[in-house]
Amino acid sequence: MDPEARFSYYQRVKEAADEEQRKVLRKDFTRTDREEILSLRVWWLNRMRYTSDPLREKTTLFWHGHFATSNQKVKDAFAMWQQNETLRHHALGRFPAMLKEMSRDPAMIKWLDLNQSRRDHPNENFAREVMELFSLGEGHYSESDVMEAAKAFTGYRIDPKACSFRMDKKAFDPGPKTVFGKMGNFSGDEIIDMITAMPQCARFIGRKLWTFFVAENPDEETVSGVAGLLLGNGYDIGATLGVIFRSEGFYSPKVVHHQIKSPVEWMIQTTKMLEIPLPDTLVLDNALSILGQILFAPPNVKGWDGGRSWISASSLLYRYNLAAYLLSGKARILGGGKGVTARVPLDQIISPGERGSRMLLLNHLVFRVFNAPATEKESAAYLDFLTNHPTPFSDQTILDFMQTMMSSPSYQLN
Amino acid sequence: MKSPKEQPLHTRRQFLRTSVLGGALAHTVPLFLEKTFLTLDAMAASTSGQYATGKDSTILVVLQLAGGNDGINTFVPYGDDAYYKARPTIHLPNKEILRISDYAGLHPELTGLRDLYGAGHLGIVQGVGYPNPNRSHFRSTEIWQTASDSNRNESRGWLGRYFDSCCSGADPATVGVAISGQTPQAFASPSPKGVAFANPEQFRYMSESAGNPKEAERLMREMNAPESDSPSMSGPNDGGSIGMISGKVDKEGSTVDFLQRTALGAEMSSDQILKITRKTKSSVNYPTTQLGNSLNLVARLIAGGLPTRVYYVSQGGFDTHANQLPSHSGLMKDLNAGIASFVADLKAQGNFDRVLMVSFSEFGRRVSENASGGTDHGAAAPMFVLGGGVKPGLYGAYPSLTDLYQGDLKFNTDFRSVYATALEKWLGAPSEMVLGKKFPILPYI
Repeated sequence: MDPEARFSYYQRVKEAADEEQRKVLRKDFTRTDREEILSLRVWWLNRMRYTSDPLREKTTLFWHGHFATSNQKVKDAFAMWQQNETLRHHALGRFPAMLKEMSRDPAMIKWLDLNQSRRDHPNENFAREVMELFSLGEGHYSESDVMEAAKAFTGYRIDPKACSFRMDKKAFDPGPKTVFGKMGNFSGDEIIDMITAMPQCARFIGRKLWTFFVAENPDEETVSGVAGLLLGNGYDIGATLGVIFRSEGFYSPKVVHHQIKSPVEWMIQTTKMLEIPLPDTLVLDNALSILGQILFAPPNVKGWDGGRSWISASSLLYRYNLAAYLLSGKARILGGGKGVTARVPLDQIISPGERGSRMLLLNHLVFRVFNAPATEKESAAYLDFLTNHPTPFSDQTILDFMQTMMSSPSYQLN
Repeated sequence: MKSPKEQPLHTRRQFLRTSVLGGALAHTVPLFLEKTFLTLDAMAASTSGQYATGKDSTILVVLQLAGGNDGINTFVPYGDDAYYKARPTIHLPNKEILRISDYAGLHPELTGLRDLYGAGHLGIVQGVGYPNPNRSHFRSTEIWQTASDSNRNESRGWLGRYFDSCCSGADPATVGVAISGQTPQAFASPSPKGVAFANPEQFRYMSESAGNPKEAERLMREMNAPESDSPSMSGPNDGGSIGMISGKVDKEGSTVDFLQRTALGAEMSSDQILKITRKTKSSVNYPTTQLGNSLNLVARLIAGGLPTRVYYVSQGGFDTHANQLPSHSGLMKDLNAGIASFVADLKAQGNFDRVLMVSFSEFGRRVSENASGGTDHGAAAPMFVLGGGVKPGLYGAYPSLTDLYQGDLKFNTDFRSVYATALEKWLGAPSEMVLGKKFPILPYI
């Protein structure tokens, strides 16, 4: 629903003859929003699947988890799409500019109640989260910093006709605020400048970048290193990632193939690797929800915990079965339904030579599936499997082989 | 009903001993497996006489009423004029209320609960809520699931924290089972324990899609078996080929190790659960509702001897904004029928004394009805606690219908007191450690 449609909906609710009519309108509205957020999800997943700039999409996903705005509260798919575009636009740019933009983002304004924050009654929700979750982390600001900073973020409003930011000067508190021991008639942007000037902010963002792109629990030296880069280059995220991706730490055997794929990563990588499109909307949406990653609906303001929290007995088995479904196309595996999945184009993927040679097929598929060498135990088991099947390998043999590879701990790792 | 005296997991155990760990078992079995084996040995031993491991241990069933149940029309203050005044069109007929006290009684559909109360197995905790109530379904559900203060964000669930602090090393189905497609947030934890499934037939490895299912099954198990000299046992190793080495070795082992342990746990849970659900039938008829099916499944798992101590089930549809009299009655009817069957089943099994059921909803509803014959999101509401071990009675006080907070009932009992009591008095867990704070224990157990 674009802002105009939404605006006219509000008008119709206002003008409705009775409560019965309003109820019908509301129901209709809720259904429309639900359909729209679903199509937005599928749109983004397809964008991730087919983009020529995967780093930008992956970084956008990182920021979505960072700013963790959920349509469960915002209830405005258009605003969520706008935020997504804002995140994409700034994804590899400079963090302070992005943070300022996010304070003006309509979905964020609804998400953290900024639209209810006024001079005589500042709402602390945004001011708190901007420090706790977006920039500094708990313990690096005081309660009074939150209360005082909240004054600087008063008057931030949404123009409903355009779904855009507007400043309500009457609701803004232009008076003095004392934040981080400094006093002044600060604006919201100035508070953000003060925050991002703090080395702790660079450490916080640096740690999160490393955790998302490289590995959990980076050591102090690593965090300081990334923080130094960020402070030195004015929080240029693209440049910083460039250094990280060329660093020795990024290729350390301690981190390569040790990070658990998020459900979205699993889905995108798997369909790319199998050279098939994403599954049907309902299968796709249901799968990601069972696996615990619903785009535009992170579980809470902290976003997805990531790492081991992705994996439970149930979700791991589901990942294995989802792989079997994508390979075989048998809907029964996921509990029936009418989902249709594309056939894996084996003739395109596997050359005649590979069909006739165990070693060639093994080498190709190990790199295709895992993007890393197999362990000795895995290699032995794989060779054993292939030895038990006649050459040239049939489609079924190759699919079974891939199912075995994907139903393993190794396949869950980046 | 009596469950057959079977030998749960006997083959699985043999499989583990013979094909995965072999002779190395005695020296290098990881802590996780060691505990699992203890469980399995106990199960094997129990075949001589009893069918349930942990047959003496208590069980908690958490029942979520999703959507915000109207507590006032569930436990009705029929003796208060203010009730009829606030709800001119949606109050329940005075003479149909199932009297519990001179002031309040149960919804006319809740006959089974009334009988349980009469038999001394039902407690009603009144006026339950938390400070600074939030009226968003999403946020308030999160508060109940994580047991956090309303101004704090906590991502771990209260049951997840219980599993972490009290059940480390056990296989996942032993600690908690949620009858649900998605794992409830109450189970959330940095390394989640417990299992969730809507249908046990889906909670297994679907090898039949392969050309050779037996081979696929065998290979899956092989590829997921923990290494006998798992990285966590042999210490860090920074060289060698990728995949052979461990990552950061902490007390939980490497990521691969973690995944292998989880996979093994999943296989065992799945085997255990399927074996039970395929064999065990209920002697009681359940309503064919979501709740009826879920409770039927839980009862069969209990009867079949699954050593799980926490079950999680839910009933949806409680968001009654409009024309709520018929819809809420339907919900009460389903709730009553589901619970009545479950209780009858547990009694027939002889397990009723082991089970405590606690119901909750993310909030109650506004005292006054709205213009559509419904009620909007509110705050405090009653919780039911029932089971063979419950001390019957009313706990907390019925909140005033006129002294309100923003149109809502004021809470007088923190929901975390109800949790703390279940943890402390029923599961024998240190509630302060799990909930992060000390909450008063209620005398309902």
